[in-house]
Amino acid sequence: MASFGWKRKIGEKVSKAAVQQFEAESEKVEKDAELEGVDWLHAIKRRREVLLEDCTAKSKRLKEEGTLLAEQGRHWEAVKKWDEAIQLTPEEASLYEMKSQVLTTLQEVFPAVQAAETAVKLRPVWWEAWQTLGRAQLSLGEVDLAVRSFQVALHLHPLDRPLWEEDLSWALRLREQKRAAQQKAAQEEEAQKLLHEAPELQRDYEDFESDEVIAACTAMAERQKRCESLMRTAVVVDTQGVAVEMAVGDNDRPASSSESVLVKARAL
Amino acid sequence: MSTQYSILFKQEHAHDDAIWTAAWGKSEKDGSETIITGSLDDMVKIWKWSDEKLELQWTLEGHQLGVVSVDISHNGAIAASSSLDAHIRLWDLESGKQIKSMDAGPIDAWSVAFSPDSKYIATGSHLGKVNIFGVESGKKEYSLDTRGKFILSIAYSPDGKYLASGAIDGIINIFDIATGKLLHTLEGHAMPIRSLTFSPDSQLLVTASDDGYIKIYDVQHANLAGTLSGHASWVLNVAFSPDNTHFVSSSSDKSVKVWEASTRACVNTFFDHQDQVWSVKYNSTGSKIISAGDDRAIHIYDCPM
Repeated sequence: MASFGWKRKIGEKVSKAAVQQFEAESEKVEKDAELEGVDWLHAIKRRREVLLEDCTAKSKRLKEEGTLLAEQGRHWEAVKKWDEAIQLTPEEASLYEMKSQVLTTLQEVFPAVQAAETAVKLRPVWWEAWQTLGRAQLSLGEVDLAVRSFQVALHLHPLDRPLWEEDLSWALRLREQKRAAQQKAAQEEEAQKLLHEAPELQRDYEDFESDEVIAACTAMAERQKRCESLMRTAVVVDTQGVAVEMAVGDNDRPASSSESVLVKARAL
Repeated sequence: MSTQYSILFKQEHAHDDAIWTAAWGKSEKDGSETIITGSLDDMVKIWKWSDEKLELQWTLEGHQLGVVSVDISHNGAIAASSSLDAHIRLWDLESGKQIKSMDAGPIDAWSVAFSPDSKYIATGSHLGKVNIFGVESGKKEYSLDTRGKFILSIAYSPDGKYLASGAIDGIINIFDIATGKLLHTLEGHAMPIRSLTFSPDSQLLVTASDDGYIKIYDVQHANLAGTLSGHASWVLNVAFSPDNTHFVSSSSDKSVKVWEASTRACVNTFFDHQDQVWSVKYNSTGSKIISAGDDRAIHIYDCPM
């Protein structure tokens, strides 16, 4: 063991007896230190290494505990465990991804999207994280973003059939419905506007019994009828609208396996 | 003529979303150079490369979903594009009009490649079949069966003798085009093969995989001639230079690497992209390289000749 450096600094003016006494004392201190097993020089360094090792192991344990809880339907407790794990290993994408799945189940849609976004940022080549992000975005009503996320997932991993047949085609159908609804709203607005500012009312009529006036009245009544009928109808979108392009097998919302086991454990 | 590798031109925000594919062609008619890009924003864009800068010529609308692959015919007159919407579309490059739209069937249009005579387009299918479409007919003419998994990548040998396909499970198949027979099945990689390319003399086949390696095969004997490492993540695309001396690769690690074919050494690395680089190609003389990726940028590099 490297000894304390007094010896080299001993001056000639220091008496030999004093030196010997000092050396004896310092050796005693060293011995005491060895007895106590504290190596002050290396203690700090070593503790940090131990801590790092602990973080990974502890995070892994917390992750597994959270998975078990999620499987038992104890979702909030699972989220808490994973949050603790995230504190220890903030770079671990799978923690955020699993958290997002559970948050989507809990209808905590906004935090779910945030968690999945972190997951894809940390591991952009992980297609399952993109799938989870798409599902969270769909719950939030962000249909266009969901379509994009599912496409990224498919581009990374085109082999997954549920991704094609359930996630993407379902999101596309919603997109189609949303567009149709927007279109109808615009039509309705247009009809209403015409009703209130009918071109027939813009001018003066000299003879109130003329054919002109009767024609104008008929036109307005006709327009009102059209407007009312527009308001009455609900948006029903032909499911084939999408299926034509995409060739979808099933027409209903996927009552799929991926729905029943929404929360998947990630081994990564 | 440049004596060293350098970045020549950057087109930022070339698309509204990630660029997944690019091609570089030369018109036989007027010698003009055309660059085609396909993106997650559903668009195919046609650019003219002249006076050392890019000029947008056409924005081609039609695909309903992201564009996975584009190729340009060897006379530089026609472009082909495939999309996640399962359609392959052919475009006239002079007028910017769509010539044909072919429904390949669900999940059955991935990489597209023109045959050397530009009469056919090959694309991989999810059942492990290579479907060959006629450019004139716009119909599926025949198919080659690998009896394997989803085919991600396709390449014709420039001499027109072979067609190679790379599958999602890492298997490479080489067909004899004249007989339609499967010549070789190589267990190349353990992970998806996103790209493969023949050398201009058709002697070598270079493959790129998610396992981070690039492999070189001797086509005639189906021997592994070399394994190259250097990328820190998935290798997404490879392309051979027309003079047979170099090839270039792009990766999820955001880099573009140029390799010397004879020594198998990496001679240059470009770290200019902000995100994954999905596509990389040489121009017809080998003096330039194009790359494009998730950061929506197109980069053009100068190569020493």
